[in-house]
Amino acid sequence: MRAEARILSFFSPALLLVLWEVLARAGLVDIRVFSSPSRILETFLPVLFSGELLYHTWVSVRRIILGFLAGAIPGVLLGLSMGLFPLVRAALEPMVAITFPIPKLAVMPMIILIFGLGEASKVFTVAIGVFYLVLINTMSGVLNIDKIYLDVAKNFGASRWNFYRTVALPGALPMIFAGLKLGMGTALILIVAAELTAAQAGLGDWIWRAYDMFDIERMFTSLIMLTVLGYLFANALDLLERWVIPWKSPHA
Amino acid sequence: MQPNGEAIVLTGISKTFTGRSGTVVALEDINLTIQEGEFLCIVGPSGCGKTTLLRILAGLEKPTSGQVEIRVREPGKPVNSMVFQEQSIFPWYTVKENVAYGLAMRGVSRARREEIAEHYLKITGLSKFANAYPHQLSGGMKQRVSVARAFANDPSILLMDEPFGSLDEQTRVILQQELLRIWEGTRKTAVFITHSIDEALGLGDRVLVMTARPGRVKAVLEVDLPRPRDLTLIRSRPRFLELFDTIWFYLREEVMKAKASELQG
Ligand SMILES: Nc1ncnc2c1ncn2[C@@H]1O[C@H](COP(=O)(O)OP(=O)(O)OP(=O)(O)O)[C@@H](O)[C@H]1O
Ligand SMILES: [Mg+2]
Repeated sequence: MRAEARILSFFSPALLLVLWEVLARAGLVDIRVFSSPSRILETFLPVLFSGELLYHTWVSVRRIILGFLAGAIPGVLLGLSMGLFPLVRAALEPMVAITFPIPKLAVMPMIILIFGLGEASKVFTVAIGVFYLVLINTMSGVLNIDKIYLDVAKNFGASRWNFYRTVALPGALPMIFAGLKLGMGTALILIVAAELTAAQAGLGDWIWRAYDMFDIERMFTSLIMLTVLGYLFANALDLLERWVIPWKSPHA
Repeated sequence: MQPNGEAIVLTGISKTFTGRSGTVVALEDINLTIQEGEFLCIVGPSGCGKTTLLRILAGLEKPTSGQVEIRVREPGKPVNSMVFQEQSIFPWYTVKENVAYGLAMRGVSRARREEIAEHYLKITGLSKFANAYPHQLSGGMKQRVSVARAFANDPSILLMDEPFGSLDEQTRVILQQELLRIWEGTRKTAVFITHSIDEALGLGDRVLVMTARPGRVKAVLEVDLPRPRDLTLIRSRPRFLELFDTIWFYLREEVMKAKASELQG
């Protein structure tokens, strides 16, 4: 059953690619809009080996990582404080609740006004999207820790600091990671959006320039890289999670 | 240890919970003295306030009125450790780390912690699982970890809230035997809640029967059966059967009352 499932999940995308190619060659799919796998590959390999694509990928990766850290670290710290201290929560929760639903793309012009057209505005756009998701998940992670563990900590004489260290933080970690993973997905969306507006380089910028030249194949090469990035980042977070949360049941 | 001092003295303990769905009087005018080195068992209908009483003893809950005096104070030892009724071992720590939790909180050195934890893991038959995480354990094993954690902490008073309640019969009997053996080796003051009269008589020096809610002291019986006890043999002693009948007589009345008030809503 598991082997079958694995074979199926390998062949279904492969089949789709074959179908795409066949339809494109038969003229049933408009290659001016959708291109075809073989044409995309023809464009992809040269830009990959020349290093051009890798350079733009690196520019985006740097922005994603910086933005992710700039959003996740304060998100975790503030989320923990809001979860642990009712007064901090009371003070900040209304602001978080009001500003969270604002689409991050809607404030991009303002971010550009404040931070200019350089790296800072891209990094900040990613950071702000990651920040909210990590903050909200971390806070609810702390708040949802089973009350029994608070009693255990108290009964066994945990000091305040030991309580944070042995109950609050480990108890919230699974939710913190849920937030980080959601944040990473958002980071990929936001980086492309941020780079669409007046960037000098990056995968989003690449897509926009390809569009200007109506070079569909070039556009697809950037999409391939974004897919690879999404896959790599998700796997990196999974690895990190397995290392930081060794107690997590693999079935849960 | 000087025997027969008073370990715990409760005077006029009442507890009222005020919640959204109105107020619940959980305990009413409990007066009780527990001797040092005594094993006290508490039985009573479900919802009569047993857990509430134990939590008050543990200092996790404040009584609405009345006085709790904990008189045992052994220097360097924690006053009490609790085995909770529900699953309470930390999923994020290994079995050994869970057992050593109280020791770690008290700043006991790592080497000493390991040594003590390993001792109690051995006694509770968990040595092989020392480095496993709770999600890899059965329900019964988790309960044993919880018992080992309380024992390893070496408190003056052990508080146990139906520690074997959710176990199958065979595991329960084995753990009761283990508990008896450990306790007879240390003779700590112990308060043990159970639903089973069998268990209460097998383990306890005295059995406290509580009334239906609001929980009051219905009766306290001396269990004058010799120690060390063998739980499988003790059941056939005439005195055991006599005590069983007496407790059942008290308890049945209260269980009926509890049922009746449940039906009234
Ligand atoms: N924190 C609380 N808030 C409100 N009511 C509570 C609270 N804790 C307990 N109660 C109520 O107090 C009563 C006694 O509860 P308790 O848990 O002490 O019963 P118990 O004798 O331990 O029952 P069981 O044998 O089923 O474990 C119950 O009616 C319960 O609903
Ligand atoms: Mg209870």
